[in-house]
Amino acid sequence: MSAEVVVFDILSVIAVLAAIGVVLARNPVHSAASLVVTFVNLAAIYVMLRADFLAVVQVIVYTGAILVLVLFVIMLVHQEDLPEFHGGRPVQRAAGFILGLILLGEVAAAVLTRSASVPSGPWTPAAVQSAGGNVQALGQVLYSGYVLPIQATALVLLVATVGALVLARPDLPRLRSARRETSTISLGHPRGTDVEPQPTALPAVSASQVKPETGERELVMAKSGDEFVDHPVWGERREP
Amino acid sequence: MLSAYVSSYILAVIVLIILLTMMAYMTYFERKVLAVMQDRIGPNRTGPFGLLQPLADGVKLLQKEDIVPQAADKRMFLIAPLVSFVLAPVAAAVIPFGNTIHVFGYPVHLYVADINVAVLYVLAIGSMGVYGIILGGYASGNRYSLLGGLRSAAQVVSYEITLGLSLVGVFILSGSLSLVQILHQQQQALSFGALQVPNWYILSQPLAFVIFLIAAVAETNRAPFDLPEAETELIAGFHTEYSGFRFSFYFLAEYINMIIVSLMASTLFLGGIDGPIASGVWWLLIKAGVFLLFYVWLRATLPRFRYDQLMGLAWKVLLPLAVVNIALTGLIRLWGLGLL
Repeated sequence: MSAEVVVFDILSVIAVLAAIGVVLARNPVHSAASLVVTFVNLAAIYVMLRADFLAVVQVIVYTGAILVLVLFVIMLVHQEDLPEFHGGRPVQRAAGFILGLILLGEVAAAVLTRSASVPSGPWTPAAVQSAGGNVQALGQVLYSGYVLPIQATALVLLVATVGALVLARPDLPRLRSARRETSTISLGHPRGTDVEPQPTALPAVSASQVKPETGERELVMAKSGDEFVDHPVWGERREP
Repeated sequence: MLSAYVSSYILAVIVLIILLTMMAYMTYFERKVLAVMQDRIGPNRTGPFGLLQPLADGVKLLQKEDIVPQAADKRMFLIAPLVSFVLAPVAAAVIPFGNTIHVFGYPVHLYVADINVAVLYVLAIGSMGVYGIILGGYASGNRYSLLGGLRSAAQVVSYEITLGLSLVGVFILSGSLSLVQILHQQQQALSFGALQVPNWYILSQPLAFVIFLIAAVAETNRAPFDLPEAETELIAGFHTEYSGFRFSFYFLAEYINMIIVSLMASTLFLGGIDGPIASGVWWLLIKAGVFLLFYVWLRATLPRFRYDQLMGLAWKVLLPLAVVNIALTGLIRLWGLGLL
């Protein structure tokens, strides 16, 4: 067994174990952390296949950007507040099981029909070397044979970007001039401005509504910070 | 073949040791420079001129109790600082520290690895390192820490885009993503009549250099962009709950990242080991030192940004400028090749 096979075995075993961890973890943040491990091991396998560029892009795009944003959202959600993160609806579980089996069958079919019997393509290591390297070879292929798919992908991404802009646009643009212009992007305020709409003036209080000042006031002693609120303080254990 | 591997490993160990020593003395350097700028004396008690201060700090932090809060996600809490610390020095592997030299007849390259995607590799390592901060902030079971982690996530994702796009101009001019290739390109001299100018990319890409510098400060969570650990609003952000050596792992990862970003900036824009006389690794160190001084100077000078200003700066100012820079560089490149 060559050293390459040993390294591949180690990487793939860790990747599969981490992938199982993604599914089995009770805490969604743990799932995301396992997914990070899977992605990094996958990138390492790409490096073994001499696809350096693909490996680095895999880490930058999936691990560095998409998963960070996913974590960003699920970190804000209480684990207990997630509706039926595990189990629950039998139809969904059955559908998931069947779809998983179909996917497994597809992968098995792809591996069994493809492996070892297919002649190697034009991009041998020598050809990649003569093109100037992995990045250059990929660039030549992408921008000669696959120009149309690349432009179609770019268009789809552009549409998605425009969609994000539309969603993040402050609503009721005609009211904006009445507010203070802030021209800032604020994550704390998803509508993009940091000023609340001005409340209308409260009705005047009549003399009968005002309680006379007695000097006595009901004293409320709280045993803990969340005794009088519905939700516990974040991070404190809730008794089951 | 085998000798190349062996020399790579030896060099990797040497680079790691030097980096860890530099990191320790970076803390001393920062405290001393800050002290001078604020008209104080700074550390001067431990050893001559306080030179043993980093050592004393390390020993002190090792003796501290390693506290894990009850509300913490224990396993994650213990692992998260290690993620930051382990990933930080890995990026130094692709930085060239000199030209090829010959030792006992064997050619020895003064870089650990010359991979074809070196610059992207550094960016990838940087984007992985932020997981230590995000997961640490989450696992602390503290709202301030969680907010620090969230800020870090948003900040790093935004500034990584700017950082990557600012480098595209350099890639267009050099035609390579390999730091060794980029360095070779910069070692050629340009001559305008009698004037000899080195082909450093700071001269042809000044806008990209400024954008890179700003984005790098944000990427390393340094003042004035140190929002994730803003002590005035978030206590200490993601590392509020950390104590002892786990706290110092975050601290040290930040300093290693600063050193690596300085080395990267020197290599990408200032010709790295290239210098007017006697090219060598000392030029790289001098240039990186200037950048580190700049970092400390920034911290001493500028107040912290407001959070929405930080995001606005990234998305509304730096990103459009970086795109304009790419378009201009591409046009000039086409014109230079005679294709326009």
